[in-house]
Amino acid sequence: MSAVEATGTAAAELASAPSGTREMTYLEAISDALRTEMRRDESVFCIGEDIGAFGGAFKVTDGFVEEFGADRCLDAPLAENAIIGTAVGAAVEGLKPVCEMQFADFISCGFDQLVNVAAKLHYRQGIAVPMVVRLPSGGGFSGGPFHSQNPEAWFVQAPGLKVVAPATASDAKGLLVSAIRDPNPVCYLEHKGLYRHIKDEVPEGEHAVPIGEARIARAGEEMTVVAYGSSVHLALRAGEELDEDIEVLDLRTLAPLDRQSILTSARKTGKVLVAHEATRSAGIGAEVAALVTEEAFEELDAPVRRLTAPDVPIPFSPPLEQSVLPQLDDMKEACRELLAY
Amino acid sequence: MSSSPTEQATTAVDVVMPQMGVSVAEGTIVEWRKRPGDWIEADEPVCDVTTDKIDVEIPAPASGRMQEILVEPGTTVAVGTPLARIDAEAKPGEAHPDEHAANGGQPAAEAPPPRTEAAPPQAEQAPAPNGEEDRSRFYSPVVRRIADKHGVDLEQVKGTGIGGRVRKKDVLAYIEGQEGAPEGRPEPLLHIESPYRPDEADAPQPSEAGTEAAPAAPAGAPPPGVGELVGPTRREPMSVMRQAIARHMTGSRRTAAHCTTIVEADFARVAARRGELRDAMKRRGVSLTYLAFVARATVEALQEHPRLNASVDGDELVYHDDVNLGIAVALDDGLIVPVIRRAQRLSLEGMAAAISDVAERARAGKLDPDEVHGGTFTITNPGQFGAVLATPIINQPQVAILDLEAIVKRPVVVEGEDGDSIAIHPMTYLCMSWDHRALDGADAARFLAKVKARLETWEVSR
Repeated sequence: MSAVEATGTAAAELASAPSGTREMTYLEAISDALRTEMRRDESVFCIGEDIGAFGGAFKVTDGFVEEFGADRCLDAPLAENAIIGTAVGAAVEGLKPVCEMQFADFISCGFDQLVNVAAKLHYRQGIAVPMVVRLPSGGGFSGGPFHSQNPEAWFVQAPGLKVVAPATASDAKGLLVSAIRDPNPVCYLEHKGLYRHIKDEVPEGEHAVPIGEARIARAGEEMTVVAYGSSVHLALRAGEELDEDIEVLDLRTLAPLDRQSILTSARKTGKVLVAHEATRSAGIGAEVAALVTEEAFEELDAPVRRLTAPDVPIPFSPPLEQSVLPQLDDMKEACRELLAY
Repeated sequence: MSSSPTEQATTAVDVVMPQMGVSVAEGTIVEWRKRPGDWIEADEPVCDVTTDKIDVEIPAPASGRMQEILVEPGTTVAVGTPLARIDAEAKPGEAHPDEHAANGGQPAAEAPPPRTEAAPPQAEQAPAPNGEEDRSRFYSPVVRRIADKHGVDLEQVKGTGIGGRVRKKDVLAYIEGQEGAPEGRPEPLLHIESPYRPDEADAPQPSEAGTEAAPAAPAGAPPPGVGELVGPTRREPMSVMRQAIARHMTGSRRTAAHCTTIVEADFARVAARRGELRDAMKRRGVSLTYLAFVARATVEALQEHPRLNASVDGDELVYHDDVNLGIAVALDDGLIVPVIRRAQRLSLEGMAAAISDVAERARAGKLDPDEVHGGTFTITNPGQFGAVLATPIINQPQVAILDLEAIVKRPVVVEGEDGDSIAIHPMTYLCMSWDHRALDGADAARFLAKVKARLETWEVSR
């Protein structure tokens, strides 16, 4: 491992096997992960706007003050730079802070502390910064340009940061646990549209999903949809409704990318669609497309295609927003086109 | 249309029926690729013309806009006849409905200044009338790689993708179909790379003109009352090429005293030599076929036996110094015989390259009209369907034609130091039709013996 990242893995700490599973929403799974880790490790604490007494804008930390006390579930002023800066300092001093951005969009105010300080401390001085920034992201609820963005590509381009984006409740828990245990700063993208819409079986107790490993959400032979977050569900539904042999690869981690899984699937099917809700240019889709073209060119049966939002801000107007964000019909059409190619 | 060009705008340029080789006096318009109003670039094909020998594309003499079409498809006109007019003064950006379609529907908002050099939209990029571009001959990287690995000729694979594209699944299915064929399927023949190869192997071809076929029906109308016994029928005009073949073949049967002599030849050494050279030749882009060996052996034998490299002209025999070797190439409907001139100067490798060159260009319709004239001896090679014998018709005014049929493995007696034994060798029959007016059976047999001996003693490195 390069000096850019600190080493030490969550998996090593995963001693006990999960005791069973329980059906949870994506939101409950995030909550469960936080609670599990805070119970297990006293150095873990939360900091964010309205997360204490109010329980968070989306109620992820509901009841945390009662269980862990206000010292471990800190209400911060409306100052993202201060929240992240505080977390960096706490992490350097040996704590494991989990910052909540009320909306992922607001992280621009904390950019310097995250990208220039947290991401580079280990490279510059060999100091690990074990912190997590939770980023409620994504649109689809008429939140407009400041409450709907998907800013993952900004952070994928900052060496020293890890970026994860779970699509299922089980991964939401497992990846948050791994993010907290990781000695590096991790951006954790939680799609707001999945909070209460996605529900699946989540292992109770300790459950960690390794960072950097993609997951085959649906196996197929004819084409691959590489997706993450909300787009995974569009791809799965498209596969079902079209009744076609489509493979869906859920990236889960965006930095570092699971290059091997992407290439294995691309080589198998020869046709790759990369789908995300974030804007198009220089995004994850572009990166995956470039990787596939560079490494699997001779296995390709079709150009690598992207299904993304166009390079525009997210509109308030519901019909306009729908036309900007990739919808199920768009996914089906993109799959049909590639299958027919 | 008799109006002379001078009556048109001074900027109009005529497209005329060109002189296609020395022997062609007239041509028939097959299809116009441009319609009046279309933009055309200089040298872009404007129409297709067929003659009794060959099909050619007529290039535009100038850039401009198609003004008028003077000769409709199907019409035959003399060399030099104006076929269409191009307005060379037209500006490429000027709006025209067809160009809009070709340009993705964007209106030509700003017309470029007069005489602009900006490239006009290419009509080829426009979708075909049925809305789907023909992409059947674009192969993706994976398709090329798989085809290469399995030695698949992609032209034979039916594409099911957009625009007829050959997809990965198509080429895999093709390979599976080949491997999983029922056991009764005949062993693949050894010289399927022959240029004598129709596009669809499973469609029985009409009788090839190089070989004799029983006439489908006696000349003239059937006797009264027979027609209704035939059942439903369909009539199609013969293509120009079909008519030419019919004319030449019946003419040859009337003219020459046809005889056919057959020898059997053992291709073991040729096969061994081919194995030695094939990969190296393939790297240079040349496919080394058995036909090339036969052609090379034939040319050598012709030089020793000039009576077969001759023509009959009235009461005279004309002996040719050069061997101009005709190679029959099957087309979709018909065949054409491009001529490899001065074939005696070609090595085996040169012969293979020359054969694939003329065969490819013949199938692509890119032969120069003069390339199908002046042959002194012809080889025909329709063996891919497994036929072992044929009695070809001589290509007049030549005096002989050699037919290479299927090369198949057979048990043969080989003489060794320890006596005779039985071995499996690739064998074929070399069938030659010859004109008894010009030579006799002994000449034919001696010549064939020479070809056979050359093939059976081909030098092999190991």
